[in-house]
Amino acid sequence: MDYFEPKTVSEALSLLDQHGEQAEVIAGGTDVMVDIKYKDEPGCLVNIKRIPDLNAIRESNGGVHIGPLATIHELEESDIVRERLPLLWQAAHQFASLQIRNTATIGGNICRASPSGETLAPLLVLEAEAEVTFSDGARTEPFGAFFKGPGQTSLGSRGLLTGISVPFPAAGNHAVYLKHAVRGPMDIAMVGVAVMATANADKSALDDVRVGLGAVAPTPIRAPKTEALVSGKALDAALLKEAGACSASESSPITDQRSSGEYRGWIVDALTRRGLAQCWQALTGKEVA
Amino acid sequence: MSLEITLTVNGKTHTAALEPSTALVDFLRDTLGYKGVKLCCNTGECGACTIIMDGKPVNSCVVLGADAAGADLVTVEGIADGDALHPVQQAFIDTGAVQCGYCTPGFIVSLKALLDRTKNPTAEEVEEAISGNICRCTGYTKIYEAVDLAAKQMS
Ligand SMILES: Cc1cc2nc3c(=O)[nH]c(=O)nc-3n(C[C@H](O)[C@H](O)[C@H](O)COP(=O)(O)OP(=O)(O)OC[C@H]3O[C@@H](n4cnc5c(N)ncnc54)[C@H](O)[C@@H]3O)c2cc1C
Ligand code: FES
Ligand code: FES
Repeated sequence: MDYFEPKTVSEALSLLDQHGEQAEVIAGGTDVMVDIKYKDEPGCLVNIKRIPDLNAIRESNGGVHIGPLATIHELEESDIVRERLPLLWQAAHQFASLQIRNTATIGGNICRASPSGETLAPLLVLEAEAEVTFSDGARTEPFGAFFKGPGQTSLGSRGLLTGISVPFPAAGNHAVYLKHAVRGPMDIAMVGVAVMATANADKSALDDVRVGLGAVAPTPIRAPKTEALVSGKALDAALLKEAGACSASESSPITDQRSSGEYRGWIVDALTRRGLAQCWQALTGKEVA
Repeated sequence: MSLEITLTVNGKTHTAALEPSTALVDFLRDTLGYKGVKLCCNTGECGACTIIMDGKPVNSCVVLGADAAGADLVTVEGIADGDALHPVQQAFIDTGAVQCGYCTPGFIVSLKALLDRTKNPTAEEVEEAISGNICRCTGYTKIYEAVDLAAKQMS
């Protein structure tokens, strides 16, 4: 197996051009190392960890710029993430063990494009954008367009994710990330649900409701019908019930070793209701009546 | 293809060759002889292979060996001060937190990293620090007792 440690993004990109499908990028390695041991070894490994400045987390243009090499624990430790992007912070905090969080990067989580990737539904809800770079130039693209299927992104085999831009959510919002897994954070999510909302001026209704679902479709998804159903309304028990069912109907979960599709649907329903009720309570100070 | 890397383990500098696909755990055990680093699940789930890399606990089975070039590592062999055990090691003996012992080096390393970060960890911090370490013998109760004892002795 060939091995490279490029020192710049352009050096990494020319290696990917040169080696095509043979090449595999490695960042933290928590997914790639397991693949090397138990699946096929790639023809060549391009280790991007020695490229400087790709792990920055800083305020930029009304939001937060996150370098793809920032580790999950660096997100968790970052003041700006905790204070301004609590949804992403909650996902980082429920991500595996401390040992894994110290090694795994957010870029690796995104580029792995597993529908259950912990940071993905939060990034969709936060309407974050990916900076994708090829040898002939860079572009930004919303994460809604970036994920193409399980393990598939618009990077193909020749692109690098070089940055993540997350706009600050509206002032006064409340957000919740709920993960359902057998061993708590240690396990891959059976279902992950991200909910974010604001309240209207007199706190009588929810506004700008956003719901993101992980592990229940070929890519992480938003639940637009559920969002439209609840936005602009006061949340009562009947609406909550309708919203849970609507969210479940927007998912298309598969059955695998972690859970049956039917069970995943029930969990989407329950966690959507729980997330919305928590937002309603935090934003209006009232219980769902 | 083989690479040569230089790294520090428990204060000692080593330079050695490795295949680029080698996991750090295999390099530490088989090339450098640090057999205190245990290999168990080999997929990052159990914590037996935990080491401290540049101040942070990581699972050496899912870290690329080549990433240790220039790094400062601590394994369980480097935790005692000569013949004097680290308080967390002594506490494991005193509370009976060791049964088969296979998980013990990983727990000791995770808990040393915790006690380096915080002198008086809360129950929640202890739980978080060892959430990635599995013990199939003790039922954990005595491990929690050992951390309490070590923290008391260190403060
Ligand atoms: C024990 C264990 C528990 C885990 N628990 C969780 C969990 O709770 N939640 C969760 O979401 N995941 C979990 N994972 C999966 C994994 O840790 C994450 O997906 C992690 O974020 C991957 O990041 P990495 O830096 O280690 O990626 P790597 O393994 O280095 O790479 C992952 C993929 O991304 C590509 N890649 C990485 N960076 C880039 C880039 N900048 N540009 C282009 N391609 C890139 C690589 O080629 C590879 O295909 C777990 C893994 C293990 C071993
Ligand atoms: S052997 Fe590394 S975590 Fe189990
Ligand atoms: S003492 Fe046997 S696994 Fe922990």
